[in-house]
Amino acid sequence: MSAKFRLSGSLKDVTGGKDEYTIESGRTVRETLVSLGIEPLTVALVTVNKLHESKDYVIRDGDNILVMAVVGGG
Amino acid sequence: MRLYVDTTKCSGCNACRVACSLSVFGETNPKKASLVIEPHFPAPGNYTVRVCTQCGDCAAVCPTEAIKQDAQGAYYVDFAECNLCEACVPECPEQVMFLRAELANTAWKCTSCGDCVAVCGTSALWLAEKEAVAA
Amino acid sequence: MNGYGGSILRVNLTTGQIKKEPTPADVARDYLGGRGFGIYYLLKEVPRGADPLGPENKMIISPGPLSGMLIPGGGKCDWTTKAPLTGGYAGSSMGGHFTAELKYAGLDSIILEGASQKPVYLFIDNDKIELRDAGEYWGKGSVTVEKMMKDKFGEEFQIAVIGPAGENMVSFAHINHDFGRQAGRGGVGAVLGSKKVKAVVVHGTKSVQVADMEAYRKAGMALYKACKDAEGLKEWTRYGTTIVTSWCNEVGALPTRNFSTGFFEGADGITGQTMRKKIVVTDKGCFGCPCPCGKYSKMNKYNSYVEGPEYETIGLFGSNLGIDDIEAVAQANLLCDDLGIDTITTGNVIGWAMECYEKGIFTKADTGGLELKFGNIEATFKMIEMISRKEGLGALLAEGVKRASKEIGRGSEKFAIHVKGMEQSAYETHNATAMLLAYMTCDVGAHHNRAWAITYDLQVGREKVTPEKVARVIWLQNFRPMFDVLGACRLQWVELGIDRDLYVPALEAITGIHRSWEDLDKVGDRIWNLTRLFWARENEGFGRTWDMPSPRFSEEPPKTGATKGQITSLENINLLLDMYYEQRGWDANGLPTPETLEKLRIPNEQFA
Repeated sequence: MSAKFRLSGSLKDVTGGKDEYTIESGRTVRETLVSLGIEPLTVALVTVNKLHESKDYVIRDGDNILVMAVVGGG
Repeated sequence: MRLYVDTTKCSGCNACRVACSLSVFGETNPKKASLVIEPHFPAPGNYTVRVCTQCGDCAAVCPTEAIKQDAQGAYYVDFAECNLCEACVPECPEQVMFLRAELANTAWKCTSCGDCVAVCGTSALWLAEKEAVAA
Repeated sequence: MNGYGGSILRVNLTTGQIKKEPTPADVARDYLGGRGFGIYYLLKEVPRGADPLGPENKMIISPGPLSGMLIPGGGKCDWTTKAPLTGGYAGSSMGGHFTAELKYAGLDSIILEGASQKPVYLFIDNDKIELRDAGEYWGKGSVTVEKMMKDKFGEEFQIAVIGPAGENMVSFAHINHDFGRQAGRGGVGAVLGSKKVKAVVVHGTKSVQVADMEAYRKAGMALYKACKDAEGLKEWTRYGTTIVTSWCNEVGALPTRNFSTGFFEGADGITGQTMRKKIVVTDKGCFGCPCPCGKYSKMNKYNSYVEGPEYETIGLFGSNLGIDDIEAVAQANLLCDDLGIDTITTGNVIGWAMECYEKGIFTKADTGGLELKFGNIEATFKMIEMISRKEGLGALLAEGVKRASKEIGRGSEKFAIHVKGMEQSAYETHNATAMLLAYMTCDVGAHHNRAWAITYDLQVGREKVTPEKVARVIWLQNFRPMFDVLGACRLQWVELGIDRDLYVPALEAITGIHRSWEDLDKVGDRIWNLTRLFWARENEGFGRTWDMPSPRFSEEPPKTGATKGQITSLENINLLLDMYYEQRGWDANGLPTPETLEKLRIPNEQFA
């Protein structure tokens, strides 16, 4: 049971360069971030299958998740 | 093959025109590009883009046959043959036939090379087959 | 010289003399361009103690080797001068299309010297360069004048223009370009106004030479491919920097009611998503940029248009003033642009004034009858106009929050949110120590663009005070402004996360000189120390006390949001500075040591 989890921008600094993961469904986006060592507060935007979702979204099979950090601004 | 543009996606960045001048002339000089971006500011606040449709009207009137057709069906100017007579410029229905003597001693036009497509970040440009035109 | 326009243009406004000199190869080699040229000429040619608004000050306008080239975002122009707002260094980076046109006109820097008796504009059309009478433009708004000039000269001409605020020498007047891009901070517009230069108009038709054409095209295309392949491209393009707004509110970083807290209960009205739905009509980009961050907006309520607001303006005119209406924020943005004042400083200063009014320090007698309370949109619009024209209370506010609060006293200095006299931009820093340090040590005052560190704070622990945090800020400060030196935008790297090593072969192919990022970081370190030395040279007693932030962040904890009850203690603030100075090779008072100067090859005689 799996889904695709991708990191954009500088989030891959935190994971040592890897920006694409196959992950288990059934957990929230937030829980998945924590398991990857990413502080959920650093994530600005979550899209699931190209639609905006919150970090409390429960991941389902076949979902395509993209999380974006806030890295810049101004 | 010819260029197509979704003008609503244009952000006015001109990367396409830099890539074009490099492709056609080997120079970094967007004023020597073969597509036109018209800004409309402060209102209504958008850009219109005009691209060559490879219709061939320019080639039809060129008295020195300087405008030739390549294997993919795109029309291009053979710089050596152009005598700067300017017959082609008013013929172009998209106004994308260029002749500016202060910039080059030849007319120039789009060759459908696709470099502009490669640098367009908003995917406003793409190359595709010419559509058949009804008689 | 490969990658360069070829000439430095000197314009003496006093005598009317205009001359070109070849760009010195050694200056290009050591300082590269942009911000590097800016500090080089500022130190060399502006005498110590010069009045920022006097004829001895100079405005140095510089593209860089990446400007105008096949490089994503090669559209940045540096404006360097002695700042009217702070009396220190100002280096402001302006996007749009102006910088590319300078390269096509064969220019690597324009140095404006002296002062004109009558309003003029500088007109550059390739080698035809003239000072022309600006009588028909003087007094008019930036948007109006740019349109007039585009209609008169043609769309190919690029215009940089000051508004009435610059003419009136408001200390934070800005320079406007391309209907919505600015050289924003420090009062660069006031310097032009003091020289009676209404605008700089440029048109060029020359090509820029490169050292290795094939390698240049390959490296440039690789950079564009990396941008187009970036995961976040579509979302970033959709929102630009407004993408940050709701996140900042969530983490307690959205400045609210004069930085009293980082949480705004009305934030939903001003998020990027709300803005996109309500007012955005076009994604508008700078030269060569594949990820246009500009959001051009139509405000039906006011029958007007503006490029913006971007995050800073949303923060400082929205939450910071208690305004939850994005259309009103956009209109405030337009008023600032057209009249010619920096939105960041203006929003911050009005926030201070609103707190003064709510505390009874100002009354309606002071405000000319305006009820200057948080949330009052009409009063905000009126205040923008009064500041631009230096009318009534506007005359005081036009001095900036440091001077205004000093004059008013009555405890108002405690809630003047600035560092070194430059108003803090839109990140609330009660508890985000790397970001706070970034504001404290930024080389123009409290601006965020040199080191944006707030995500890093959250990743490693926002309250932590560690050498690693300090090292991170220094790394960012040496690296990020290098884009301003090269004349390109940093947001392709920052926001899309493209590999910065892709720039190395491009820069080498263009200039013919190989430079690694290690080499460039050394240039960045050098420039950082030079701008520090400029502050010290120009300000008696410059040192640690000038790096201190607003006491609000150590004395008045927020009552709401993620940072409720949190502060950064004065002890920790000083500890951050101790570590920072040590890692920078500066003494305990924050000045570069002789050893550091020697290591960076900075001769002492410039600072005697």
